[in-house]
Amino acid sequence: MKISKPLLQAMALAVAVTTVGSSCKDGLVKPKKEEAKKEQQRKLPDNCPACGMG
Amino acid sequence: MTDIRSSVACNLDSHILRAALPLFADEKVGAIEWSFDALVNPRSMPDWFAELLRTYSGAGRLLGHGVFYSLFSGRWTGAQQQWLDQLKSLSRTYRFDHVTEHFGFMTGADFHKGAPMSIPFTESTLAIGRDRLLRLQDACHCPVGLENLAFAYTVDEVDRHGAFLNQLIEPVNGFIILDLHNLYCQSRNFGVDPDGLLSLYPLYRVREIHLSGGSWAPSAVEPGRTIRRDTHDDAVPADVFRLLKQAIDLCPNLRYVVLEQLGAGLQTDGQQSQFQQDFLWMDHIVQAANQIRNPLINHSFLPRRFHVPDPSPLEDPLLYAQQLELSDILETSVSYAQAQQRLAGSGLARSDWAVETWQPAMLETALAIAQKWKNGFD
Repeated sequence: MKISKPLLQAMALAVAVTTVGSSCKDGLVKPKKEEAKKEQQRKLPDNCPACGMG
Repeated sequence: MTDIRSSVACNLDSHILRAALPLFADEKVGAIEWSFDALVNPRSMPDWFAELLRTYSGAGRLLGHGVFYSLFSGRWTGAQQQWLDQLKSLSRTYRFDHVTEHFGFMTGADFHKGAPMSIPFTESTLAIGRDRLLRLQDACHCPVGLENLAFAYTVDEVDRHGAFLNQLIEPVNGFIILDLHNLYCQSRNFGVDPDGLLSLYPLYRVREIHLSGGSWAPSAVEPGRTIRRDTHDDAVPADVFRLLKQAIDLCPNLRYVVLEQLGAGLQTDGQQSQFQQDFLWMDHIVQAANQIRNPLINHSFLPRRFHVPDPSPLEDPLLYAQQLELSDILETSVSYAQAQQRLAGSGLARSDWAVETWQPAMLETALAIAQKWKNGFD
């Protein structure tokens, strides 16, 4: 399915600026720069791995 | 048009998104499956991810895949009601083409902790599962489905799983997600022929197929035996692709084939490249099936009329007490021997759970799974 160029660019930018970590939690995409620091201090991640709990 | 769509499980995870980005750019991703309940804080969703969801939603190609509803919990909890309320709200924002959940109950103390584990196949669990599915359908007003579980304690469960799923979804005219890696796990762990296993499922009720990879864990209590686990952290095995080729022509109502992998297994360029290769091979099989597919078959998987759930959710206090006891044993036992001893003296002994028949290596695996996920994703 075709998705728009601006959306693809936004996705590419988002994953490019996200720090690659060694755990799922570290790999979460940070929503906004100013929130990134706050988010790192949260106990729960904003998005858990979905399946694969086997 | 009833073509099968090659899809990815797409959540807010940089590794998954980085791996899938070239596939999106090449217009290969026919649908996305979003685990809407894995998002702990919806306010933190970036605009571009919401736009991605809206894009697929607008095209009728967004699938909702729940993880934490805990379908078979013997007690109805506030967290389950909140889960439904959240789904109801999301269903007003996004149009899900269907919504699915996992088979089992969650061992954890609260949502976002624990892992799905099996339950006895009884009249009581059947009634509770049906009650929960009616509530799920009432919340999302679209087709609903259940996924087969990878884990089983005994080969008897493996043999009966497909038929029990069929009974569960019957009142909602639901469908099955046939997870082929889960089927592969059961086949390898219990020495069962995968073709024979496939034949135990009502394949006309399969609307979605999942593909993923996993890992092998050596058993300490049964030396020489290794257990296949559904960890979603590696490439799709060749045997699972072979199963896809067999199953795809046997499922006339199939609409989606979804590649799932955890971000933890997609951290290197090599892993991301392998994910893309797996997707393209999956898509090759899907497109070949589309060439010979009967376009006239199109099961809606919607009920003739939407049922209004009973105001009082069905509960089974004995089942709930047993689930709490089992969760505690699995999460806190320091060894297989201790777990077995505690089970023998528990309320699960000589009950429908048939703990006396559980295979040692599978109880050992259940301990490993429950203890891996008891603190959620911290």
